[in-house]
Amino acid sequence: MIKLIEKIEGEAKLNFNFKDEKIEFVDIEFMSTRNIENILKGKPAFDALVINPRVCGICGHAHLIATVKALESCYENLQISNKAKSLRELTLNFELIQNHFKWFYLTMMPLFGHKQEVLKATYPSQLMGKAIALFGGQYPHTSYAVVGGVVCDITEMDIIKLQHYIDKTVQFVEENLLKMDSKSFSTCKSVESVLKYEGDLPDILRQINAEELLEHGKSYDRFISFGESSYFKKGKSIKTRVNNNISIDNVKESEMATSFAKNVSYKDKYYEVGPLARAMVNKNQLILDAHKKYGDSIFSRIIARVCEISQLLLHSTKLIKELDLNEPSYIEPSINIKQLNASGYSAVEAARGTLIHKVEIENGIIKNYEIITPTQWNLSGGTREKMGVSQKAMIGLCDVKTAELVFKTFDVCSVCTTH
Amino acid sequence: MENKALFEKLSSRLDELSNLPKLDDNKSISSLIEEKGFSRREFMGWAGAMTSMLMLPASFTPLVAKAAEMADRLPLVWLHMAECTGCSESLLRTATPSIDSLIFDYISLEYHETIMSAAGWQAEHNLESAMKKYKGKYILMVEGGIPHGESDFYLTIGAHGKTGEKIARDASENAAAIFAIGTCSSFGGVQAAYPNPTNATALSNITDKPVINVPGCPPSESNIVGTLLHFILYGTLPALDAYNRPKWAYGLRIHDACERRGRFDAGEFVQQFGDEGAKDGYCLYKVGCKGPYTFNNCSKQRFNQGTSWPVQAGHGCMGCSEPDFWDKMGIVHEPLGNRLYHTVFGGLGSDATADKIGVGILTVTAVGIAAHAAISLVKKPKEW
Ligand code: SF4
Ligand code: SF4
Repeated sequence: MIKLIEKIEGEAKLNFNFKDEKIEFVDIEFMSTRNIENILKGKPAFDALVINPRVCGICGHAHLIATVKALESCYENLQISNKAKSLRELTLNFELIQNHFKWFYLTMMPLFGHKQEVLKATYPSQLMGKAIALFGGQYPHTSYAVVGGVVCDITEMDIIKLQHYIDKTVQFVEENLLKMDSKSFSTCKSVESVLKYEGDLPDILRQINAEELLEHGKSYDRFISFGESSYFKKGKSIKTRVNNNISIDNVKESEMATSFAKNVSYKDKYYEVGPLARAMVNKNQLILDAHKKYGDSIFSRIIARVCEISQLLLHSTKLIKELDLNEPSYIEPSINIKQLNASGYSAVEAARGTLIHKVEIENGIIKNYEIITPTQWNLSGGTREKMGVSQKAMIGLCDVKTAELVFKTFDVCSVCTTH
Repeated sequence: MENKALFEKLSSRLDELSNLPKLDDNKSISSLIEEKGFSRREFMGWAGAMTSMLMLPASFTPLVAKAAEMADRLPLVWLHMAECTGCSESLLRTATPSIDSLIFDYISLEYHETIMSAAGWQAEHNLESAMKKYKGKYILMVEGGIPHGESDFYLTIGAHGKTGEKIARDASENAAAIFAIGTCSSFGGVQAAYPNPTNATALSNITDKPVINVPGCPPSESNIVGTLLHFILYGTLPALDAYNRPKWAYGLRIHDACERRGRFDAGEFVQQFGDEGAKDGYCLYKVGCKGPYTFNNCSKQRFNQGTSWPVQAGHGCMGCSEPDFWDKMGIVHEPLGNRLYHTVFGGLGSDATADKIGVGILTVTAVGIAAHAAISLVKKPKEW
């Protein structure tokens, strides 16, 4: 049976194979491509800073930050001020936050039979969009990060506005998502302490329990996360065993005959990326508790994504407090890119997981550019013998509707994937 | 006098619309606005802002408000082609929650892949039945470039695996009005940049019907909503420029209404990001601003509910509402006047290229700017 999955910012085709009334295998196919990597070839390197955010309008900012970092890694001794680093990190955080709201209210809630509450999704994501625009000029598709720093020169006034947007967003969370004080929430260590409260998140979590979906959506229990920041750590977690010593050299992309998207593996194994993976690598107590009880199931995936909202909001406030506005926004690189023959890469955590960019430049012109998106990790379409993460998570389910729910807990995005 | 005639014309258009059945009999836009906690005053404030954006006199505000309330008489179909969904994202951030509500709750969004709750077969069915049920009446908005000709297989949509090109062509056939939302759908966009691997093209190249282009990458939310309101008010196509862009939004260059324009005229330029000039809000021309060649209203409307726009943040305009800006207006951080294009024109200078492709205005501007920039040179420009 073929099912099309929409509302994943584009489309994917899932071909379900049933045996004894259970899903035995799922083919995943992406039916479009734009070939951005080929468009980048031959262009001046800095043009990638404008082109790449357009790989995806949903996580375009992550592509901007990945691009600027990949280009910067081509330089030796490049200086970036702490201020510029923090501003980039803040805007990236805001992008993650706004994504999670939209995913929860536009995609998840209706799958659990609730009314789609568009305003609940747009109100807080608009606030976060404004917060990005404050530094970046517009969102989506800003190009405010350049090699050497950022172009904005923010003032105390901007900081006040920014804190206001954050406070409003926190307030929204506390009034809707989880009716408790965010600070106490950040210290919650057990699922039970969350379930005591009211709110849209605990409602859904309770519903998962009531509808006996707790065992659904388990995959390999292998997680990976490459993007480091002042909040995220890099590493892999096999069940709960964490190893921080991982290398991008072991990441491999491979073509698929039936789809326009490529598979991604680490040392030939498929890994899950995204908020659950990040929380596992970061050893977040609450998510570890969810994982201990329910494994890498839809329950853990949902709670991990939604909790990241509060955590990133709190962490962003901390980053703002530490900002030193007297530092320079931009420090000019000591060599002109036209003289640069080099290659580099970057990894950042986008809303849906690890995003990797690799670039090769010759006299400042792009010779090669590779983009590996988060959804490629989670949605790699493996074989029956070696299935991809989301494929494995759907095996054994009895109906396509539940499979769609499981699939979407990975917050898949086909726009990025079909770059 | 002229205004009076227009006022009457628009009023009778709205009266006509009010006779059409609503898409949902149990809802009315005004009651929903109230329900969401917006006062009449707030709504009128919003309508006032829209009125001035549409370049109508303030006395037309009640008409614009009425037009917004009539929005649920016109079904809207929104198609996604080869794109990044940034335009939809821009729409999701539409100014003030009351407008969100207008778009999402009141207007019957018969088909919009990203936000509608139906999926798969159901979605395809929705599209087909919307096109049948509202034949000749629906407004079609298309986002994304369209892989075309022999390359159309780079985009297939829906359970029947129809190509994007076919779907867009079919939907255009019976639409009351067609809007190409965003630079991709207007001109091909980023995927159509050299070497255009999927042969992506503009919507206007695959249909004979008139297409109104609302470019921008993405266009501001207000240009998208304004386009819709304009159609509701007038029922006809707006005045258009040479690229079929509505003049009310794309009539002026970025440069004409830029907050840094005084700096430009005074010859005060940012020579390099992060310098003293950058801190003082100098003109960004020498770090690559393409504002003098770009027609759009960003400086007035701004983005994200009027929060900011690229030039305000310190990055030059990159010309995203112009055709093929990817190929014609790079390198992004260099002024257009003194560099060579990366285009099919074989690397001719900007002025020569502008000549060849017949965009007279660009030539004139480029020459003027080059001269001006040379005279006002205070520091040695960056080497390229
Ligand atoms: S016009 Fe820009 S924002 Fe819109 S789809 Fe194209 S690249 Fe994305
Ligand atoms: S060149 Fe750009 S920054 Fe300078 S005045 Fe014109 S539009 Fe504004």
